[in-house]
Amino acid sequence: MLSIENLSRQFNGRRVLNDISLSLQNGEYLAIVGESGVGKSTLLNLIAGLDTPDGGRLRLDADDYARLDDDALTHLRRNKLGFVFQAFHILPHLTVLQNVALPLWLLGTAGAAADAPAQQLLDAVGLGDRGASWPRELSGGEMQRVAIARTLVHRPRLVLADEPTGNLDPANAAKVLSLLAERIHAANAMGILVTHSREAAATADRILYLTADGLGA
Amino acid sequence: MRRRAFCFALAALATFGDAAAVEFARVRRGLKLRFPFDHGAHPDYRNEWWYATGWLDLADSQRIGFQSTFFRVRTGIGEKNASAFAPRQLILAHAAIADPRVGALRVDQRAARVGFGRAGYASGRTNVWIGDWHLDQRDDRYRVDVRADKFAYALTLVPDGPPLLNGLAGFSAKAADAVHASYYYSRPQLKVSGSVTLASRTQAASGLAWLDHEWSSAPLPEAAQGWDWIGINLDDGGALMAFRLRRADGTALWSAATWREAAGKVRILSPNDVVFEPGRQWRSPRTGIAFPVEWDIRVGTRSVHLQPLIDDQELDSRHTTGSVYWEGAVTVSEDRREIGRGYLEMTGYGERIGFG
Amino acid sequence: MTLAPVFLGSLGRRRAATLFSFVAIVLGVALGMAVQAVHQAALSEFARGLRFMAGEADLQVVGPRGGFADGVYAMLAARPEVAAASPVIEIEARVDGHPDSLKVLGIDVFALAQVEPQLMPMAVPATDRLAPLREDAIFLSAAAQTAFAVKAGDRFAVQMGNQVVPLRVAGDLPGAADDRSLAVMDIAAVQKYFASAGRISRIDLRLAEGLTVEAARVALQNLVPSGVLIEAPAAAEDQAANLSRAYRVNLTMLAAMALLTGGFLVFSAQALSVVRRRSEFAFLRAIGLARRRLFTWLIAEGALVGLAGGLTGAVLGHGLAWLMLALLGGDLGAGYFSGLKPQLEFQPETTAIYVLLGVLAGAAGAWLPAHEAATVAPAQALKAGDSGVLAGQLAGRGRPWRGVALLLVALAACALPPLNGLPVGGYLAVALLLAGSVLLLPAAASRLAALLPRRGPVPARLAAARLGAAPGHAVIAAAGVLTSVALAAAMAIMVSSFRESVDEWLQQILLPADLYLRVATPQSSGYLDAELQARIAAVPGVGSVRFTRHESLRLAAGQAPVALIARPVSADAHELPLTASVQRTAGATAIWISEAMRDLYGWRPGQLVDIPLAGHMARVQVAGIWRDYARQTGAVLIDLGDYRRLTGDRLANEAAITLAPGTRVRELADALTATAAAGALQVAYPAQIRARTLRIFDRTFAVTYLLEAVAVIIGLAGVAASFAALAAARRREFGMLRHLGLTRRQIGWMLAQEGALAAGVGVLGGLLAGAAISLVLIEVVNRQSFHWSMGLHLPMASLVLFALGMTALAALAAVLAGRQAMRQDAVLAVREDW
Repeated sequence: MLSIENLSRQFNGRRVLNDISLSLQNGEYLAIVGESGVGKSTLLNLIAGLDTPDGGRLRLDADDYARLDDDALTHLRRNKLGFVFQAFHILPHLTVLQNVALPLWLLGTAGAAADAPAQQLLDAVGLGDRGASWPRELSGGEMQRVAIARTLVHRPRLVLADEPTGNLDPANAAKVLSLLAERIHAANAMGILVTHSREAAATADRILYLTADGLGA
Repeated sequence: MRRRAFCFALAALATFGDAAAVEFARVRRGLKLRFPFDHGAHPDYRNEWWYATGWLDLADSQRIGFQSTFFRVRTGIGEKNASAFAPRQLILAHAAIADPRVGALRVDQRAARVGFGRAGYASGRTNVWIGDWHLDQRDDRYRVDVRADKFAYALTLVPDGPPLLNGLAGFSAKAADAVHASYYYSRPQLKVSGSVTLASRTQAASGLAWLDHEWSSAPLPEAAQGWDWIGINLDDGGALMAFRLRRADGTALWSAATWREAAGKVRILSPNDVVFEPGRQWRSPRTGIAFPVEWDIRVGTRSVHLQPLIDDQELDSRHTTGSVYWEGAVTVSEDRREIGRGYLEMTGYGERIGFG
Repeated sequence: MTLAPVFLGSLGRRRAATLFSFVAIVLGVALGMAVQAVHQAALSEFARGLRFMAGEADLQVVGPRGGFADGVYAMLAARPEVAAASPVIEIEARVDGHPDSLKVLGIDVFALAQVEPQLMPMAVPATDRLAPLREDAIFLSAAAQTAFAVKAGDRFAVQMGNQVVPLRVAGDLPGAADDRSLAVMDIAAVQKYFASAGRISRIDLRLAEGLTVEAARVALQNLVPSGVLIEAPAAAEDQAANLSRAYRVNLTMLAAMALLTGGFLVFSAQALSVVRRRSEFAFLRAIGLARRRLFTWLIAEGALVGLAGGLTGAVLGHGLAWLMLALLGGDLGAGYFSGLKPQLEFQPETTAIYVLLGVLAGAAGAWLPAHEAATVAPAQALKAGDSGVLAGQLAGRGRPWRGVALLLVALAACALPPLNGLPVGGYLAVALLLAGSVLLLPAAASRLAALLPRRGPVPARLAAARLGAAPGHAVIAAAGVLTSVALAAAMAIMVSSFRESVDEWLQQILLPADLYLRVATPQSSGYLDAELQARIAAVPGVGSVRFTRHESLRLAAGQAPVALIARPVSADAHELPLTASVQRTAGATAIWISEAMRDLYGWRPGQLVDIPLAGHMARVQVAGIWRDYARQTGAVLIDLGDYRRLTGDRLANEAAITLAPGTRVRELADALTATAAAGALQVAYPAQIRARTLRIFDRTFAVTYLLEAVAVIIGLAGVAASFAALAAARRREFGMLRHLGLTRRQIGWMLAQEGALAAGVGVLGGLLAGAAISLVLIEVVNRQSFHWSMGLHLPMASLVLFALGMTALAALAAVLAGRQAMRQDAVLAVREDW
């Protein structure tokens, strides 16, 4: 379970996040909706361990990681977190299957031991026959499906998705969003979707709104 | 008779063309040897050698043989060259120790042109040297100094009387044709004292030696394949020198002997009175040459048997004089009783003695 | 290694940039490797030759060129320290109709057996055992028999000086079968025929056991006459190594600069690649790639390019070395090892070092970009769409003060004295100059951008705006250009200055004459004796004749011999290329020393010094210093009259002859050569000597032209690489410009001008840095390694031409590199995510 208590972050004296608290049960998929500039990305970066809060606590299961150094955070991300980006971030010089296997590589698993779960997830996102393809041969929607597969390949505790459909047309966006929700549930992971779109947020189990005043339902 | 020196005669013959300008002195019958003048070098002749051999008793009671030979060769080359390096005369030297504990000869050899004081000879007395090897005669005592890598010796040789003239008062014929002859005398029964260094250990040595001095300009007879020679100091104070020239088939081409009896009476023996009978053979593991290392020799009415100190007394001098020969210490017995000790030399058992 | 595909795969995607970096490192490594391999081959061949000649000698007794009295041999051979002494006379002889000379060693075959058994002659046929002593016998090595087309038994006429001696080939030298110019004769015959009676060139000594070589050397040295030195055989080896070391180090230095340029190229390629892959790295960091691992992998990318380049370069270098050996010889045409036929040998250690240098260049080039990439905060980089910011961070921020500081340190480094005979300070200054100039480059680029007009066609305005706004990209390209231009310009200025100075020197150092007459083998002891001198002077048509005697002096053990030149000199030596004022005391005998003597022996004008002449010490005064480009190990010039008075030596080696009025040069030349045996004397004309000297000079520096060309290629590759990388990154920009209505041609023009601007900055900086480096080369490096000074001559026309050509080629390279990006569907590129 993820629990956030009194989290705050300021940049150059400007308070961006103030006293944010939140908790997420195992298997729960949460959407955070907010306008541009309210600190959505800052909050996500803090949860992802890409940024360090000025105050408050961050706890994933038993680990408090609000005060860890870069190496420890990197270790945490590698083992327990999964990411889906707006810009996909599919490496162009790796095949589709290799891209999916990449998180396992980082954990020191390579070869068949990495390929088997990667293939399983590719099957799950409906791209089982595209493992040997190069990313340039994929459409945007397909790329994000690859990214979803990659996110879950190492069985993360928490999946973070930042505007995953920002670069997709509405039809593809809907497919990707429902796939993401389905896969997070299938993996029994926790998920946080950050978006400005209420329609997108509707695919999650629960929706919280981030405003200048804080986080609320 | 040591025709080792004739090697050089042959060499000179090979290039008679330019050597023709050089007139070598000739050996003539009837020339009376004069001493001490004739102890010295005779540089007008083509070849000359002084040859000391003998038996030594060391302080550690080991009995060994020693040999030291100095050759002088007039090459006929560079007679008109003003260069101090002009190789008109060469000095070559062989030295050896026959040590039963080693089982073979310890040998060293040297060669140099005469000049710069590096090598030379004197007239009027025996004095010949090459580097720090010397054979030097003073007051009719000879001093031999040899320093080789594996051995060294410094010996004084004292004669018991006047030189023993071989052949016709020192005119020693080598064939029926008088062209093949040399001047040749011996100094037998030389009392030796001095020191010998073996394996870095120097010890006193004493014994009996034999010295030959011979010079000539004549070549070896065509038919000669090699020769056999002995020089023996007899226990009774007498001395025996005998040699024969050998044909390729092993038969004698010429032979001669000189026997000085204990009382001092000297007998010169003609070819018919000297017979060499080869006995047991020994084959060299290095050159494959077989040498008869035991002999029965009849000189006039007496017959002696030769037995080597050690079988392997082969000396490979292909670097200097260009031949392989056997030069070794032997004991002499008559009727199975030892009567003396001396040296035996055998040449021409591999190739014809000469060059190549 | 599980992440190898993530990083190394990326190299394959940036094929052009990777290839250029690779090529630059290949060239740098190959050149360094080639120079090293050639020199090593030459040196080891030379050393092998020396060792071969020395045989088992512990010490060698050497003297001046004319040799020394053979009494020294008698004295030394008798010493208890000496186990064996082998006297040698070495002469250089000619054989009629053959261009190559024959080295004839006069030896004592008996001593040879003990000291140099490898030179033992073998008679053919073997029956004549006295053959090595015969006066007409000469023994040629099998290779020399082939070279001179003779065999055993043949007649063989050998010519030495003005003597022709009829000899007979008596056999060969089984221990020296491969030496193409070696012959052996009896020492007495050499003394007789080659008129060196009573003199020998050398004695090889084997010492008695139990003596230390140095103790024996000192003891024996005290016994020999002045001017005769006793040294270990290795000393000559060291002398040769020292002599050519400076030359080799200079060439290696140039190769190192090529490698440095290669490193720059890796830097620019990696820097641009890091810029482009910024969000990729951010993503990898986000999903759990540790900072250190990212850094290590990026270094590994550069190192891998370096390794590939290093390995290929090593192979290419050996090939190049082979080619150089075949075409230029072991000294690359510099004349240090003439007559040697070195064999190329594979040296694993040296090769490994050069491969490692390639890896280091690659890794060093990747260092800064890797560092920048690893410190990027992934949160920001993940969001940022534009990747252009980082380039500015990488190279755009100038560090002008650091640059100025480096230039000042460079100036100070010039004042350092040579270290172990090597101009280390000079090299340091060159490196600092380069680094300082590169650091000043961004400031220079923005200054230049500010000066550019804001008018003109759109592509030009866009190009200028880009240089002003994002000088980082341009600077990355320009740094490589600067390095290569600086290198090329410095070499060009140095070589041109040197050549001009040599030309001027030639006109001064030669005695003014219409023609010169000399013995056909000037290297040996061939000479004109008094009688021949008189005959020459008496030839009708000779106006005036002045003779020169060439000798050599041994001044210190372990030092190469010093040339002694005796010729008519005026009281103030105004005809010599003097570099310092004359200081003479009345009554003192004057000598005039070359600059090398001042540097090597510390002699100063006015100083009284003792020099060994004819076996005795003579006190003379250093009256002045003259410039000498011919003898790196030093030369002493003395008036011929003084020389003859001090030595009694009436011989001469050369005659400078002016014509009497109304004489035809050709006729006089024929009459002069007729005074001695056919072919014994050679006539040379001043113009001929000058042309030949300059031809040798050009050959010597041929290899530096090669290095310059390589530097230029690397510089251009740098431009192409950075523009290729940039063009790929700027596809969207091009697409946008096409949307706005720019034609493909206009984009091409824009790229060309950007290329020209970037290169222009580099070329300008390079010319300035090059001029400064050339001054360092002339005033510090050459002074310290060759001991000679020279005037500065700027080859203006070629430099301007070179600068323009380089800029134009850079523009072309930029267009070619950008073509791929322009060809792709630029319109679509706009919509594509990065």
